[in-house]
Amino acid sequence: MSNNEIVKVKHLNKEYVADGKPFLVLKDIDLTIKEGEFVTIVGHSGCGKSTLLKIICGLVDYSDGTVERNGEKVKGPSPNCGMVFQDHRLLPWLKIKDNVGFGIKDLPKDQRDKLVREHLELVGLKGFENSYPSQLSGGMSQRAAIARGLASDPKILLLDEPFGALDALTRIQMQREILRIQKEKGTTMIMVTHDIDEAIFLGERIIVMSARPGEIKDIITTDKFSRRNRGSADFAAYKRKIYNFFFEDSAELLEEAEFVI
Amino acid sequence: MKTKKIGIIVLGLILPAAILLLWYFSTNFTSTPESILPRISTVGRKFREMIQTGQLQEDLGISLGRVLKGFVLAALFGILVGSIVGMSETAKRICLPTITAIRQIPIIAWVPLIILWCGIGEASKVVIIVMAAFFPIMVNTMSGMIETPKGYVEVAKLYKLSRLKTFTKVYLPHALPNILVGLKLGLGVSWMAVVAAELIASLSGIGYRMSNARSLMQSDTVIVCMLVIGVVGIIMDKLISIVFSLLTPWQKSNNK
Repeated sequence: MSNNEIVKVKHLNKEYVADGKPFLVLKDIDLTIKEGEFVTIVGHSGCGKSTLLKIICGLVDYSDGTVERNGEKVKGPSPNCGMVFQDHRLLPWLKIKDNVGFGIKDLPKDQRDKLVREHLELVGLKGFENSYPSQLSGGMSQRAAIARGLASDPKILLLDEPFGALDALTRIQMQREILRIQKEKGTTMIMVTHDIDEAIFLGERIIVMSARPGEIKDIITTDKFSRRNRGSADFAAYKRKIYNFFFEDSAELLEEAEFVI
Repeated sequence: MKTKKIGIIVLGLILPAAILLLWYFSTNFTSTPESILPRISTVGRKFREMIQTGQLQEDLGISLGRVLKGFVLAALFGILVGSIVGMSETAKRICLPTITAIRQIPIIAWVPLIILWCGIGEASKVVIIVMAAFFPIMVNTMSGMIETPKGYVEVAKLYKLSRLKTFTKVYLPHALPNILVGLKLGLGVSWMAVVAAELIASLSGIGYRMSNARSLMQSDTVIVCMLVIGVVGIIMDKLISIVFSLLTPWQKSNNK
């Protein structure tokens, strides 16, 4: 793994205007992500973590601070940076192969078909080329969305709660799949989640964010062997640490959290 | 599967059968005069006679030609304007108030002006149909475009699709079912408009035949013309549905 800094966020502030009043969604975000890393961002809903992803991939503007991808200032979306959304956002009128190939541009048809085939195979959807999204289950749709995100061969893949809408068993299966895929492709991945277990299991580093305004509270570096073992004492310790961040103000909630652990 | 299909057809035939039955009883068992409501057999005889003389085919051909010309033009303009207004917020702000105001004016109210401008020839009939059918097609196209989920548009933005590509790959396919509804409404309005236009100023077509027959108290001819318009209308409506189910295969798999 190289030590190249592929994403660099410095002093980023982001304001939205609601009802004529500005409010701060992201406050002084400083973040550096290395090439090939798997980073998870965990936080309450509405803490601006999705906005942060959208700023990194260039879908949302920012005014204050700097955001760099591959050493260049982010000015808009680029094929270098793919994104997978919570609602898979496959276009209902395109067959799976056309959805997966949606972002592939400027390639002759046979090469494009080859890329689509490879990526469908990568996510385990071989044989579904000609199906429509409505014929696929939630887990399969999300696999297709991941294939679309990767087919344009981005260096960075941003995942915005991609498994949030899946049932618990499918979610665990998909977590293992995404690790396998990341290993195979070597893509840098940044995943937003509100599932603490998921954040620990996948994240080499876990970024803990608070809500209103969204601020980075802590960055936890996890150990490979303990994070992959959901029953280990270290896993429980990571979990306790993250719970403490979210429920520090409320003794009652903390007690509840202890009970859950 | 097959019995289910037959069942659906039978259900659709219940009302027509009831209407025929009511018609039969009111003409054969009451003293309704033939000039007010002719018997089914009289209308049937008139229908055969009009086919044999070729008059019905000629009238229908003329009116159908006008409807097709007007409807196709209205569809082109309606989908074009609806798409532009639906995709661009600025275009919407500029056009929508005026369009909404013009829409409120009944088509009949336009007829005198259109005749003044275009004469009583073919052009005025086609213009009347275009004006009548344009609005339902345009408004439905527009709402289909506006309702396109932001998430899909964001995907197009993520992959840096051009505005034209975003239109053909995202907005247009999303709006197709709405466009279908608009076209069906527009088609119905086209028939209304052609008959109205021919009633007022024409010497040919099925609407002219009706108004001529009315002044001669030939209610059987009027009813034949009405039935023919209804049947041709339902055939054209079905044709649009078939074309659209071929254009939207992803919806078929939804219904499975």
